[in-house]
Order: sequence, then C-alpha cells, then structure tokens
Amino acid sequence: MSTKNSIMKIENLQAKIGDKEILKGINLELEPGKVHAIMGPNGAGKSTLSKALVGHYDVEVTGGDILYKGESIKDMEPEERALNGIFLSFQHPVEIPGVNNSYFLRTALNAKLKHEGKDELNAAEFLRLMKSHLESLGMKSDMISRSLNEGFSGGEKKRNEILQMLILEPEVIILDEIDSGLDIDALRAVSEGINKMKDGKRTFLVITHYSRILDYIKPDYIHVLKDGRIIKTAGPELVAELEEHGYDDIEEEK
Amino acid sequence: MKLSELKGKSAKELTGVLGFPDKANQAEKFAKLDLPNKKTEEYHYFDVEKLFDKEYKLLEYPHKPIAEGEKLVITDGVVTSAPKGLRISYANDTKIDLAHFDAMYYLGHLLCSHTIKIELDGDVQLEVEHHYTQSNALIHYRIELTNQVNRHSTVYETFIADDIQDTLVLYGYDLNIAQDSTLRMVKLQTMYDNKYSIIASHKMNVGKNAQAIFKSFDFGGDHGLQLLKVDLDERAHIEANHLLYVNQHSRRGTVSQIVHKGEYSTSKQEAKNILDGNTRGIFDALIRVEKTAKHTKAEQNSKAILLHEKAYMAAKPQLEIYIDELEASHGSTTGQLDAKQIFYLQSRGLSYNEARKMLVIAFANTLIEKVMDARYQERIKEAFEAVFYSTNTN
Repeated sequence: MSTKNSIMKIENLQAKIGDKEILKGINLELEPGKVHAIMGPNGAGKSTLSKALVGHYDVEVTGGDILYKGESIKDMEPEERALNGIFLSFQHPVEIPGVNNSYFLRTALNAKLKHEGKDELNAAEFLRLMKSHLESLGMKSDMISRSLNEGFSGGEKKRNEILQMLILEPEVIILDEIDSGLDIDALRAVSEGINKMKDGKRTFLVITHYSRILDYIKPDYIHVLKDGRIIKTAGPELVAELEEHGYDDIEEEK
Repeated sequence: MKLSELKGKSAKELTGVLGFPDKANQAEKFAKLDLPNKKTEEYHYFDVEKLFDKEYKLLEYPHKPIAEGEKLVITDGVVTSAPKGLRISYANDTKIDLAHFDAMYYLGHLLCSHTIKIELDGDVQLEVEHHYTQSNALIHYRIELTNQVNRHSTVYETFIADDIQDTLVLYGYDLNIAQDSTLRMVKLQTMYDNKYSIIASHKMNVGKNAQAIFKSFDFGGDHGLQLLKVDLDERAHIEANHLLYVNQHSRRGTVSQIVHKGEYSTSKQEAKNILDGNTRGIFDALIRVEKTAKHTKAEQNSKAILLHEKAYMAAKPQLEIYIDELEASHGSTTGQLDAKQIFYLQSRGLSYNEARKMLVIAFANTLIEKVMDARYQERIKEAFEAVFYSTNTN
C-alpha cells in the first residue's frame, strides 16, 4: 500500500525498551478514513509500536521518524500528540483513585477545545454530552461519578476508553488489544462505539493478536508485524489466511 | 522563659519553678520522662530542641467574660466566645492519664492552672476556633471534653494566627467518649513558616461500644506535632485519618499510641502524607493490644508521596501484641507519583504539571472525601488547594 496523502507515515522506525531493541525498522502509512489492523504473534512489537506513536516514556525511539499530517511528532510531548488528535485506547487502562471520572474527562475535553480555540464546556453542557454517549455504550450512569477506572471490571475499563474516544473525537485512533478480556456483550458494545466513529474521516489502527475483533470492526488493510517489522500488507482477506495457517507461514514481502 | 531550663529538674524543683505545688503527679511523671530532645523516640524527627531553646514571654490566662457566638473561640488559650447553651467551665480537677507516653502531655498539665472544660449535651455540632495573636509567646492551655452516653457529636477545629512570629503553642485535649456514643473530631490546620509552632498532646478514652472518629488535616509549613494516646474499652472503635501536606521547611506529623484494652475493640488508622520542599513528615504510630483485648481488630497504614528531592518521610507503623486471638495488619509505603498514571492523563491532553496536580489532589481527596459534612469537606478542599497551589504555581 502506498498513499500520497497519508495522515500518519511511519518511516523506518526503530525503538527499544531498556536495552532491548524491539522495533527494527517499521514502515507504515495510514490512509485517512481507513481501518488498518496490525496483527502479529506475541512479542512482535505491537504494543511497543502503539506506545511509540503516543510518546510513552518506556519507549526510546532510536531511529526513523513518525510523521503526522506531514510533521514529525517523534520528539513531541504525549499531551501535544493527544491535543493534535492522536488517541490510544490502552490495553490495560490504569486505575486512578480520587480522580473523578467525569471531572477528568471534562478537563481533558476542555484542554482540547482550548487548544483548538473553541469555547470550553460548562458542567451542565458536558453532562448532557456525556449522558448521550453513556447510554449508547450501555454504561451505568454512576460510572461517571466514580474514580477513574477504580474498581472497574475489564469490560467497564474498555467501555470507558471508548467513552473517552467518543467525547474527545480524535482523528487517529489506536486501539491496543481492545478486545482482550471482553465478553461478547461488552465486545459488541465497544465495537458499536468504535463503528459510530467511522465517518470516513477518522483513521483507525487496530492492534490485535486475534481476529475476533475484526468481525466487528471491518478493516481495510491488514499489516502483519513480526520481529519488529511489518512483513506483509494486504486486504481483509489476509485474516482468513492467518486464521488457517498462523503467523509462521507468512513470508516477508520483498 | 526557656523550656530547656526545665530539663533534668526533679518533681519538687518543677513544682517550685512552675508554682503549682498541688500537681505532684504531673511533676513526677514529667520529671521521669524529662523534657524531650532529639534522642527521645517520639521527637526524634521533629527538631524539638530548637523550639525549647528560644526565650518565650509568658501570658496571663484570666477568666474573661464569654461572649455569645456561633463557635467556640479560644484566643491565646482563653475562651472569648461560645455558642449559647454550651456548657463550659474552668476546672482544676481534670483526671489525667498516668501512663501517657508523652512528656509534653504532663508539662501541658503542669503549666496550666486550670483546664477549659466542655461538656457536650445531646447530639451537637461544635466548631472550635483556636486564635493566636501574640508573637514570641508560649501559649499553653488544655481542654477537657466529655459527651453523653448514647449521643453523637461532632467537633470541628480550626486555627487562625494573626501576623505573629516565633510563638510556641502547647495544647491538647483530654477526651472522654461516653459509652455507646460517637464523637467525631475533624481538625483543619494550615500553618506558615515562622508564625507559630505547635505541640498538641491529646488523650482519648473511648468507652464501651463507643466510636471515636478523629480526622486531622495538616497543611503548610513550620513545626507541628500531634501526639495522641487512645485507650479503647470493650467493643470500642477508633477511626483515625491523617492527611499531611507540607511545604517550605516544615517538620510536621503524628505520633500516636492506640491501646486496645477491651475485648472486641477495633481500630483503623490511615495516614496519607504529601511532602513538598525541604520537608519532613512524621508518622510514628504504635498499636498495642493488651492481654485483656481478645478478638481485637487493628489496621494501620501510611502512604507518602515525595514531591521534592529533599523531602523525607519518617514512617514507623508498629504493632505490639500480647495475645493470639486478633486480626492485625500494618504497612507503609513511600514513593513518588505513579509514572503510569501521569502518562495516562498526558495521553488525554493534560500537561505533565496538570497531571501531577490532578494526582496529588486525588491522593488528598481520598481522605478529604471521607468527611461527612459536605460544607466542611469543601472547606478542607479549598484549604488544601490554596496551600498546594501556593507551592505549585506552574
């Protein structure tokens, strides 16, 4: 795949965590409005890639570049990337006792609105916005008054990630193992939330080990990540091949 | 007067110097424990000698007429106003604890010609304001507070200081919590470097089936130590929460002894400490379970966050147990803000400093939000944020 107008372009990206080199030259272009799925075996570097894209402190980028809307974001602070429209749904969202979920999300939304030069929302306006999304995600209303992710089940945490995504309306959405730990009802609710955001303009990068999530979020492209590099890119038909043969039989494209 | 001059004096010499010959018990106890210094375990981290080496002026404590007001106001150790109907008097027969661990408890009693006696009638809510107006003074006073059987009362304590400097306050309560009753004490104290230092030495007797809820919110600078001894009778319970946020060059904290004497008594003590600047936080807390206290449950925990490289937390949770039939746990952690939590907030668009502030306030809120009265909860939040933002302006 090669697009002239990619929203994000990853060029020969190399990165390590501690002393371990994990990403060994990733090349990937994300086409605006499309769903890209990254699949790969455990230890391939999928989560490291997602962390590198959002500027996680664990990951040291040692080479290459990440271009977002044509500008390098490699050295950008995590909050600047977020304010500019990059969103990561975490595989394991952290619990933060004492930080009210609703207060946190309004603070985050208002930071984004301020960054965009728009008017901030007051508490009542924000509550109305939040309530409409809560219902669609099948979330209990008391979840917004609880501490951020504290005592949430695995499914509730993932729904909360999607709630944040719906409210912050990012342009590039990275979903890191969004289906892990979800039962079928939670998976359906989360997928519906994600599909609501598919408006032909937003770009998705779905990082997953299993193909189950791709039954709900239809990908446009499949990229296979193995040993720190993208070894194959194809259409959605590749999912069936991976299901049947696994990752061992995939040969690197030259 | 320099308090250091009392060091090493015999009981007889003490009563002679201080002029209260009828306080032989207090004098003997104080003489035995002696004036604390840095080798005294309870004061080891507090720099107490610096306070005792200063020359202080002594004040008079006349029985002034008490004006009627919404709250009980104690100005420089003298009651100046009180709510209508509050039973308040001056007593010189306060029964003291003869097994208190703190020498300053006895010195407080030795120095005071009388105690301020408050008797809470029925279910009441009382606000006590301590007001200090004198510089370079030694302000000392003691309060005896009792409630009634099967009644449920709340006391809110606040502290105000005028534009003063270098004063030392020695005060404390003797609290007698009656059988089947509940007494909530919520203390809010914001201090600033060089205004006044304080040593508050309390004793609390919690009667059968009674509940004591003691919550202290100590913010800001200077030197302040609260020393608390609690005796729990049969099926008595204490919940003690301490939130400490210190900045500048502060040395502050809590030294406590909770003694389980009665069967089925329970205690839960939780300290949260946030240390900013070149500060020292103290949480030196002992839970002792005596042979008579079978089936006790005791829980104790201290958490500290260090926001400055020179901050130091002295956390010493301790259990002293003489029986097998009990449930007890204690623990202590000291660290910095959680990097994963900071990153999570940054990944949603908050700057590093905003994320840090949100986490510190959240840490504090876990205790502040346990205060039942919403208005007082709001006052504590405002007091905390005022001190916190004065240090963290970026």
